[in-house]
Amino acid sequence: MEANLVKVTAVVYLAATASFFYFVLRKDTAAKLPSLVLLVGFVFHTLALVARFMNEGFAAVAFMGEALLFKSWLMVGVYSLVQLKYRLSVLGCIIAPLALLMTLAALAFGSDAGEVPPGLKTFWLPLHVTLAFLGNAVFALAFGVSLIYLLQERYLKHKKITALMKRFPSLESLDRLNYQLLIWGFPLMTLGILTGSLWAGIHWGHYWSWEPRQISSGIAWIFYGAILHGRITAGLRGKKAALLTMFGFCVVLGYFFLGDAMFPGRHGGSFE
Amino acid sequence: MQKDIVIVGLNHRSAPIEVRESVAVENSYVREALSRLRELPSIHEGVILSTCNRVEVVATASDHLVAFTSIKNFLGEPKAHRVPGPLEEQHVYTYQGSDAVRHIFRVAASLDSMVVGEPQILGQLKQYYDAARQEGTVGTILHRLFHRSFSVAKRVRTETGIGSGAVSVSSVAVDLARRIFDRFDDKTVMLIGAGKMGDLMARHLISQGVKSLMVTNRTFDRAVELAEKIHGSPIRFEDFPRYLKIADLVIGCASAPEVLIDAATVERVLRERKQKAMFFIDIGDRRNFDSRINNLDNVYLYNIDDLTSVAQDNLQERASEAEKAEEIVLEEVQGFVRWIGSLEQVPTITALRQRFDDIRRKEIDKSLGGGLKDLSEPQRAALEDMTSAMINKLLHAPISQLKRNPKDDDDDATLYVAALKRLFDLEDK
Repeated sequence: MEANLVKVTAVVYLAATASFFYFVLRKDTAAKLPSLVLLVGFVFHTLALVARFMNEGFAAVAFMGEALLFKSWLMVGVYSLVQLKYRLSVLGCIIAPLALLMTLAALAFGSDAGEVPPGLKTFWLPLHVTLAFLGNAVFALAFGVSLIYLLQERYLKHKKITALMKRFPSLESLDRLNYQLLIWGFPLMTLGILTGSLWAGIHWGHYWSWEPRQISSGIAWIFYGAILHGRITAGLRGKKAALLTMFGFCVVLGYFFLGDAMFPGRHGGSFE
Repeated sequence: MQKDIVIVGLNHRSAPIEVRESVAVENSYVREALSRLRELPSIHEGVILSTCNRVEVVATASDHLVAFTSIKNFLGEPKAHRVPGPLEEQHVYTYQGSDAVRHIFRVAASLDSMVVGEPQILGQLKQYYDAARQEGTVGTILHRLFHRSFSVAKRVRTETGIGSGAVSVSSVAVDLARRIFDRFDDKTVMLIGAGKMGDLMARHLISQGVKSLMVTNRTFDRAVELAEKIHGSPIRFEDFPRYLKIADLVIGCASAPEVLIDAATVERVLRERKQKAMFFIDIGDRRNFDSRINNLDNVYLYNIDDLTSVAQDNLQERASEAEKAEEIVLEEVQGFVRWIGSLEQVPTITALRQRFDDIRRKEIDKSLGGGLKDLSEPQRAALEDMTSAMINKLLHAPISQLKRNPKDDDDDATLYVAALKRLFDLEDK
């Protein structure tokens, strides 16, 4: 049931990806269809998550497959919210395929990865994971926005005005959106780290254990903090800010996929 | 009576500007010209279109050759207070029937414009059509023709990219500015120099709603003068570098022999304005801005050649879209010609019946005056009934064939109407 729902979600996301590209290439960015298709996918996605949580009896978001499913759900949700205010169908061309890949990966990892010790099944788990993943989702969007910014900037610098470029929002609004996403993403990430740390302190007795995930998210946190600081005080903006934002997300993403596999700690599914 | 659509006109390709000007119909004279047009031999309906790129008379006529000559003469007539130039045969084009329909559709869709895809022509067409309608020189056919042409224009605009992409230097600049900046109402423009292009571009930006405009020139008086004209504030030439930090768009049109703004200056200015993006537009005869400015982050420099080449690219794109538009036009012309054909059906049918009935009448009278003069009243009535039944039966098949929805078969309806007219000699009815 649950796996089938995930499959349906993936198929709808595939359709959403296709329609985003179709309409952007047809120079029709006002079309509402792609966003609607994505929203349909989101509904199935929600149902899949609900089914999963009911099966497990608690918010199951600890292992790779379920984490991916939850993370992509948050990402699509945040994108849909942003889409309400900014008409960013071009961004859909990045978000929809990303959501598709993540749900496919979730299917590949499967849902029976392991068992979370009963002692850890407290409200801390969903709280920590939701905050941390929400931060990630916002940064994923910032990544997409930065990518579009860099493309638009490149076209303008090289004086090649293509038809595709006409579909992009202006540099100014992309940069502003990027900044706003950072303003939202950074506190979420901070809270994610804080709740994780508190939870560890309560459960294991020490707040910080130099676990690989902690180190990497610490690095990412400092990195994003520096970008935010630069933006507020030093006039960091435009191309440099976009490049740094993209790099920051690569740190987050790289660790999420590779780090846990190489250094299995608590985040990788071994709870000593 | 068969009516044909005819067009006699001159445009930017067929005639030089002096000739076009000499035959142009001034706005104030349009009504009078329309009523003169109506008086011409063989003309039934008429619309006059007169813009700087074209003068056209669209009319319906019973004889297109007569109409061509009389409209040509009409165009060559001395106007209100203007001596017409020589109106030579090669300056004028004429269209008739489906070619005329195609021409007017192409004009409306801006396929015949000097700048293909420019949107003004449709408005002008509507305006001249309205004038003719008010003057009462528009009938069923031209009414339908013009309304059809408006919707063809709309269809072309929505289904092809013919109107997309800026094709003039200053609209390209505005277009680029829109890709850099999200809004103009918080942006400041600095215009350096009093060149004509700069003036034009500054006006264009003002019409887009920029917040404020600074004008500077080596001769301060010129700056004051220009600033007054375009609602800017004048700045002394030696002061302008100090004001650069509040300028988001900088237009250089000074044609100064030396570089006025170098990259180091812009770098410093950018630091002062916390890297907020700047757009430099260099459109003087000589380069006023250091080309290395474009290498700096958050700064974009376009010179006149860059802008022209973007405009050229857009024009090419329009040209390829125009091919799609031509197909739409052809499709619509066929539809319209079909409608014209169906218009002639009813009168043809009536004429055909009339013709048959006349013959019947004549023959009955002849017979009743001759060999059948002894017939009784009831017999005469029976003869009457029999002959009219015969004619009805004879005509039934061809008429019902003709009345079938003309849209079913493309040209058949028009063809049959023409054949019937010819075969039964209905023309001079």
